[in-house]
Amino acid sequence: MLQPEPFAGEEADEPGPSVESKNQAERITARRLRIAARNETKTRQELGEDSQGKEDIQEETRKSQKEVEKSKRHMVKLQSDGLELVTNIQVAVDARESDRRTELEEACRLRRDKLENEAKSSQEKFEEITRKWTDAKMKQTPLDLRDAMNSQQQLCEQILGDKNKLISELQQELKASDDHYVKDLKRQAKDIDLLIERMEEQISSLKKSYREDLQQIENSFDEERRTLLTKHRKKWGHQMKEQSEKELRNMMQGLSLLEEHEDLLQKLRVWKAEEYNTDKIRMDTEVQNLRKKLQEVKFNCHLNEEKLDYKYEVLKKREEENAILKSHLKRKIIRMQDVLNNLKSKCASQEKQLKTEEQSLRNDYTRIKQQYIDMQKKARHFAALDAERFEKLWLINEDEVKALAHRVLETDRIIHEQQLGLAWVSPPLPFMERSGPIEHKTLRTASQAAADTLQEETRGDLVEESEGLGDTASGVNRRTVKRILELLCDELGFLVESKLLKLVSHLEKNDQSLIKLDAIFSAIGIESEKDVYTMAEFLMNYRQHEETTNNSDFIHHNDLLVALKEFTAQYCRPHGVQASQKSSVLGLIMRDDSEDAAHWESIANVIPESKLRLWSALDTAINKYHTVLTERAELLVETQNVQQQNTELRQLLHLYTTSKVTV
Amino acid sequence: MLHWWFRRFSCMSRSQSSRRTGSMRPVNAAADGRKMRSIIAEDSEWSLELVPLLTTLCLQHIIKHFREKPILDELTPKYKAYVLQRLPTSLPLTITANLISDESYWKRCCEGRWAVSDVSTYDNSWKRMFFERHLENIIEFFIPDATDTKTVLDVVPLCRNYVKRLKVSQLLPPIRESPRFDEDDRSDCASDTGSEGPSMDHFDFRILLDKLPNLEELNVVYGVKGCGMNFEWNLFEFTFRDCEFLAKALHSCKTLQVFRIHRSKVDDEKCCLLVSQLLDHPSLQELDFSHNHISDRGARAIGKLLNRSQLKRLVVCNNQIRGPGAQALAHALSKNITLLSLNLRLNRIGDEGGQALAQALVKNKTLVNLHLGGNNMTEPTAVALSQALVENCTLKNLNLSNNKLGVDGGKVLEEGMSHNSSLVECDIRLTDVSQDRSITVQ
Repeated sequence: MLQPEPFAGEEADEPGPSVESKNQAERITARRLRIAARNETKTRQELGEDSQGKEDIQEETRKSQKEVEKSKRHMVKLQSDGLELVTNIQVAVDARESDRRTELEEACRLRRDKLENEAKSSQEKFEEITRKWTDAKMKQTPLDLRDAMNSQQQLCEQILGDKNKLISELQQELKASDDHYVKDLKRQAKDIDLLIERMEEQISSLKKSYREDLQQIENSFDEERRTLLTKHRKKWGHQMKEQSEKELRNMMQGLSLLEEHEDLLQKLRVWKAEEYNTDKIRMDTEVQNLRKKLQEVKFNCHLNEEKLDYKYEVLKKREEENAILKSHLKRKIIRMQDVLNNLKSKCASQEKQLKTEEQSLRNDYTRIKQQYIDMQKKARHFAALDAERFEKLWLINEDEVKALAHRVLETDRIIHEQQLGLAWVSPPLPFMERSGPIEHKTLRTASQAAADTLQEETRGDLVEESEGLGDTASGVNRRTVKRILELLCDELGFLVESKLLKLVSHLEKNDQSLIKLDAIFSAIGIESEKDVYTMAEFLMNYRQHEETTNNSDFIHHNDLLVALKEFTAQYCRPHGVQASQKSSVLGLIMRDDSEDAAHWESIANVIPESKLRLWSALDTAINKYHTVLTERAELLVETQNVQQQNTELRQLLHLYTTSKVTV
Repeated sequence: MLHWWFRRFSCMSRSQSSRRTGSMRPVNAAADGRKMRSIIAEDSEWSLELVPLLTTLCLQHIIKHFREKPILDELTPKYKAYVLQRLPTSLPLTITANLISDESYWKRCCEGRWAVSDVSTYDNSWKRMFFERHLENIIEFFIPDATDTKTVLDVVPLCRNYVKRLKVSQLLPPIRESPRFDEDDRSDCASDTGSEGPSMDHFDFRILLDKLPNLEELNVVYGVKGCGMNFEWNLFEFTFRDCEFLAKALHSCKTLQVFRIHRSKVDDEKCCLLVSQLLDHPSLQELDFSHNHISDRGARAIGKLLNRSQLKRLVVCNNQIRGPGAQALAHALSKNITLLSLNLRLNRIGDEGGQALAQALVKNKTLVNLHLGGNNMTEPTAVALSQALVENCTLKNLNLSNNKLGVDGGKVLEEGMSHNSSLVECDIRLTDVSQDRSITVQ
């Protein structure tokens, strides 16, 4: 399949696609590579031959080529000669064969002619015989008939003889041709022998000449090779010499380099050894330290281990506990879940219930609300009634108290007049003239006051009317108060919340300032109308205080803030005290019973302290007198008793004396 | 392996013990029939290399049981080569035919079976050679009616891919049922064998040729080889039915390129039959009817075939073609553009045919070789040929040996040749020309 190739060794070294690979593609590539390599080497060889000593070698090759061509020509000639020699026999045999064929043809023709002639003659004879048969039939006499028969027989025999002769002739011919065939066979065998002989001869001679030619060609090639060899050897020797010189030189250089490097190495070794020693010592100490540390660490480790073991145990136990607990809790959870479910269901039911309840409650609420409204009505009604009753009660009580006071005063007068013998002067008794509950005027809040003040122009009569009261209450003119309030409204806008401002922006100017003032007052802490007026007064005073410098009749808005600060510092009260008193939910007018106690007290204190002391002293004196009197009474009793005893004793003595007399 | 070692150690210990006791070892060993063992133990040349490797053991096992379980393609190339080298050639073809492609194995097969084998004629393929010769053998020893056709057909699937050429050098006739009858009236039997009842048909090629897809060449001889003194005429009988079968088989084989039928008594009728089936054959290139009985009618048929095929070589040497047949061939040749070689050696075409062929050569532009040896041609043919040579410029080889051209004819021919530029060789031996032979090399 594949020719043995000289480059197999090379290829075996090369890693790459193998020819024996299982992959077909790889095999193909491998073969391609091999072919390419072979071609390359071939061309390289040719080129190399060409380049190396072109002229000489060409001449040489020409010589060998000449030799080859010569031998080729020689061989061709020899071959053609041999072929001729061999084919000569064939040609000769062919010639003989063709001769034989012509002879055969000729013999055939002759035979055919002869046969035809014979057939013709025999036919004639036969016809004669048949003719004679008819003659013989005509013959009457037996003798004639016999003669005729005899002649017929003779004729028949003649024909038979002729035929037999012919047969014998043909048989002879056959025999001759058989002999000829045998001869031919022999001759052919001879021819074949000759052919073989000649062929062998040819082969041997060809072999010989081939060998000779080969020898010659080989010789020429050998010569060529020898010359080439010597030339190449010379070249090779020369190059070898060069190479060895070069190597020697290189070696010397290498040796010198080696020495240098050895020196360097020695130095380096010493240096490194020193370094090594120091390092070693350092490392030893470090090792010692580290060992100590290691021991410590080990100890710690051991300790930790113990601890950890212990902890581990504990944790294990805990874990067990936890497990138990967990299971417990799980059970609990389950239970709880059951409970939860129950509760949920309950809750749902309750919710339902509650809804119904709520509904009912709502109904209740509406009912109660109605009731409440009714109750309010009733309460109002009752309040009015109560007030009436209160008044009646009040009057009754007052009458009683007055009567009591009268009695007290009377007793006092009696004490004074009878016991002490002093002139009794009646104390002032204002409440005696009054009757009924005290009517209090309700206190107005600061905002209300402000509102009033601001709206004074709209209700002019009212202002006129209350002007006097305002003057009396604060000594400040209502108009000035109004101006102050307006000023406050303008200046202290920062105290008002922005939200509020936004809300009030669409209102009327008076309403706006009213709301603003309300906010400002709440911020400063002014609540009552009185406070408003005190503030106004303070501000007026402040203005008057400053009037010496400032000629204006009104407080300057720049000073307002300072003045207000001072005011707040002076008058500001803690909040929350007044917060309790708000108008009642019911909208009823609450009576102020704060002065009731005083009223009643004043009635109770109709008798002053000095008089009471007097009374007490009198009491003690009277008590003493009483005691003395009682003692006297006792003593009187005693004396009576003693007198009685005396009398009795006298009686006894008398009796005794009388009895003794008897005794 | 282990066993081996064990034995070895035991033997060694024994030998040591025997040495200790001081007795002579060989005597003792030979006495109890353990000579072999002791020799192995004491063998100084023994080494581990003698122990076969496990792989070799496996491979040997594979080889041993190749018949039952052929394992080959699964092996690595190295082991494959090892196995192939050692496979016995006696393995049945049914296993090896399509499995083994290795040449060395088939070389061993061929060399084991035939003494002489020249592989160069088989494209250097031993496998092809083996199968071709195997099939030829089977056909050559096939006896109709006696041998089962299965013997041939069984081989076909094995060798169909490898057979390219079949050279059947003999075909056996069926065995006669009564040889005694033959002896009694030989002449009678010899006279009318063709019309006799029991068929004398040979192997039927129809069953084979259409099953061989690669067949390119077929050589047939309807006759018996080496019959010796048992010669009988009917051993060399080519019956009409044989011819029919062969013609049909040839028609069915489309890959055939070369067909040769020698020494088979092919007469005009059979020739016509064969040719009629070969008409328009797609691949036929060479036709050889040497040593037959073809005459003018057959030649006419062949002439017809010439222009209805791709024929390049035609050999009809040693037949009985005469003038008319040669004229028919010449007529075909004058129109032909494929034929390169024509061999009419040993026919009887004469001057009639020779002149016709010479005129055909004037028109033909393809013929290279022409053999007209032994054809009874004379001077007029030589004249016609010399004229043709002047015109023709393709003919290279011309063989005119064994024709009585005469001295004048030779002169005319020489003159004609001097005007020709293509003729390389002209053989005029035994033609009565003055010079024996002339080779013109131009």
